[in-house]
Amino acid sequence: MANFNIDSKKARTYDAIVIGSGISGGWSAKELTEKGLKTLVLERGRDVQHIKDYPTTNMMPWEFEHRERLPKEIADANPIAARCYNFKESSMHFFAKDNEHPYIQEKPFDWLRGYQVGGKSLLWARQTQRWSKYDFEGPARDQFAVEWPIGYDDLAPWYSHVEKFAGITGNKDGIDALPDGEFLPPHDLNCVEKYFKEQVSKQYKDRHIIIGRAAHITEPQQIHLDQGRAKCQHRVMCERGCPFGGYFSSNASTIPWAAKTGNMTLRPHSVVHSIIYDDKTQKASGVRVIDANTKEMIEFYANIIFLNAAALNSNLVLLNSVSSRFPNGLGNDNGLLGKYVAFHNYRATVSGEYEGFLDSTTDGRRPNSGYIPRFRNVYKQETDFLRGYAAGFGANRNTYNDRNGLGESLKAGLHETKYGNWSVGSHMMGETIPKESNYVMLDKNEKDPFGMPKLRISVDYDDNDEKMIKDYMEQVSEMFTKAGFTNVRTNDNHRNPGNDIHEMGGVRMGKDPKTSLLNKWNQLHHCKNVFVTDGACMTSTATQNPSLTYMALSARAADYAVKQMKAKNL
Amino acid sequence: MERRVALKSMAVAMGAMAGLPSWASGWNKSAVAKSGLLSADQSKNLTMIVETIIPKTDTPGAGELGVGDFVQKMVKDCYDSKAQASLASGVSNIDEQSIQRFGKSFVDASKEQRLQILSDIEKSSDATQKGFFSMVKNLTIQGYMTSEYVMTNITHYEMIPARYHGCVPVKKG
Repeated sequence: MANFNIDSKKARTYDAIVIGSGISGGWSAKELTEKGLKTLVLERGRDVQHIKDYPTTNMMPWEFEHRERLPKEIADANPIAARCYNFKESSMHFFAKDNEHPYIQEKPFDWLRGYQVGGKSLLWARQTQRWSKYDFEGPARDQFAVEWPIGYDDLAPWYSHVEKFAGITGNKDGIDALPDGEFLPPHDLNCVEKYFKEQVSKQYKDRHIIIGRAAHITEPQQIHLDQGRAKCQHRVMCERGCPFGGYFSSNASTIPWAAKTGNMTLRPHSVVHSIIYDDKTQKASGVRVIDANTKEMIEFYANIIFLNAAALNSNLVLLNSVSSRFPNGLGNDNGLLGKYVAFHNYRATVSGEYEGFLDSTTDGRRPNSGYIPRFRNVYKQETDFLRGYAAGFGANRNTYNDRNGLGESLKAGLHETKYGNWSVGSHMMGETIPKESNYVMLDKNEKDPFGMPKLRISVDYDDNDEKMIKDYMEQVSEMFTKAGFTNVRTNDNHRNPGNDIHEMGGVRMGKDPKTSLLNKWNQLHHCKNVFVTDGACMTSTATQNPSLTYMALSARAADYAVKQMKAKNL
Repeated sequence: MERRVALKSMAVAMGAMAGLPSWASGWNKSAVAKSGLLSADQSKNLTMIVETIIPKTDTPGAGELGVGDFVQKMVKDCYDSKAQASLASGVSNIDEQSIQRFGKSFVDASKEQRLQILSDIEKSSDATQKGFFSMVKNLTIQGYMTSEYVMTNITHYEMIPARYHGCVPVKKG
């Protein structure tokens, strides 16, 4: 019996454990397995294998019985998920259902989750911009949160590393506030977008309109072909899963790559309960897992643990990892675990029309759009609010059919496509300030269906956000008007925090263990073999779509972890 | 190499299409019960209503393309109970009007008579009737424009454009 236990424990022992298989977990798994570590990847949801498990990917529009509209019963049962732009008849099977995964909203917060292998990497918007040095220097310069323990130069080589493998399309724009990367050929800006770019550069010194940088393969390199991925086919149905692997997802890229090394064990249906802390070694020795099907608790062991459960779930796992040494959660000596949560402010949009280029239109579809890099407070403080915003920008030629009348006249109208003006639109992506009062914590009584404490979320906008919304509306309206756009309108959609799906923080990086949880290598200050490299680690949010930065941080931390392990420091 | 990978990927994906696994179809099954919203007679009337809105010419009309069933399914699955009730009463009301005005049920009325009834309802000052008709007309247009026939033969939908050109001349005619 004793021998049996020893064997069983041995079978559950690995070099490394990665918790989560989304964007960052996939990267941790790839890097650790490539460097020879026997790695267990734990995923709380079901397995989703590339192509095989994309059931809607090749369905024609008429094959959806509700033409992608949500049946009322599903929309009513999932009000949080249904507020996401991507929750559709064709993609809803990749979203966690509201009632199966409850949490407590102290303030309204839309927590959108993808519980399956690949996580939200199947659903993401695929925009991938590097942070600039001004983004990393923000908290120190403007004296909010704490200073970042790393700067742009620390991450730049790792941005290159992940960009080459993932495949990023973009144009080398040479903009100081938005560094260029390792780009595949860019998508086209259309005629009105190019016109706006020229107008803005004439009217403003520091404002730019560029084509978005996005994780799409526009010209496959050998490294992409080696992954079995092909050129993006411009279907723009990414949220169904892409049979070409045209955009980056864990499912198409990092997870099969890690599997091919022979060093990965993937265990779906594994809800991580907590990380096990060993008082003797003063390190983590493994994790406790609740099997999602049997509800049985199982322990797995490893030298190194990467926590990539997605920002708020990584907070939850650490808060639930209590021991006599860490009664308030793993690594939480300063009581700041779960605090200083932030997100991106997507509340405002500006729209308009352009009456030029009426003899021109676009052809095909584009899985990308124009982008306005942040221009506010980049070099110095110049407004009555802190930080700034980036913005999306796009133009489309309007087409319509005459829907008047009935019978043959209506039918004739429907068969003729007419061209209207161009429509132009923009949405803001504002940096929010991490605050102690924006936090997550465990509920003391209520449990979820897996027996985990329910997460209480208390996150809200503040006065800085309101001022930024006003400024974005004024500035972009002015840019539109100066370019000769008409019918310029602003809108505040009052979306809940979390609906941006860019929640960050709670386990922030910093120089000082008294005021931060993680060091410059994403290690817990007080438990050095635990690395947190998803959104939870973020000290501030900048304005960039965050996934590329999580990829780079994960690869960088994995490299460091393996070196430290080989030097017997872990 | 690239093309071969793509074709292989497509073949696997096609294989996956054969049947949705239970976790994918599980979303729909309970919401889409077998029984319809309308009686058999009402369903026939609705089919004639959509065919009157978009009739057969040298190409099929909405009735032939199954848009009546689409309208019914959408109202049943995606609309609230008030809209569902208004569909049933609206369809019956049209039949009653036909009998009153022309002495025959809507499905037996002439094309001109059917058009006259619907056109009067569209211009009606009665908000309930107008609301009913606008819902049915919009869904008829949606069902027709997104039907396999129209997307394949008339609007030439491209599943895989494989391109984006930002500035091309508008095609004349």
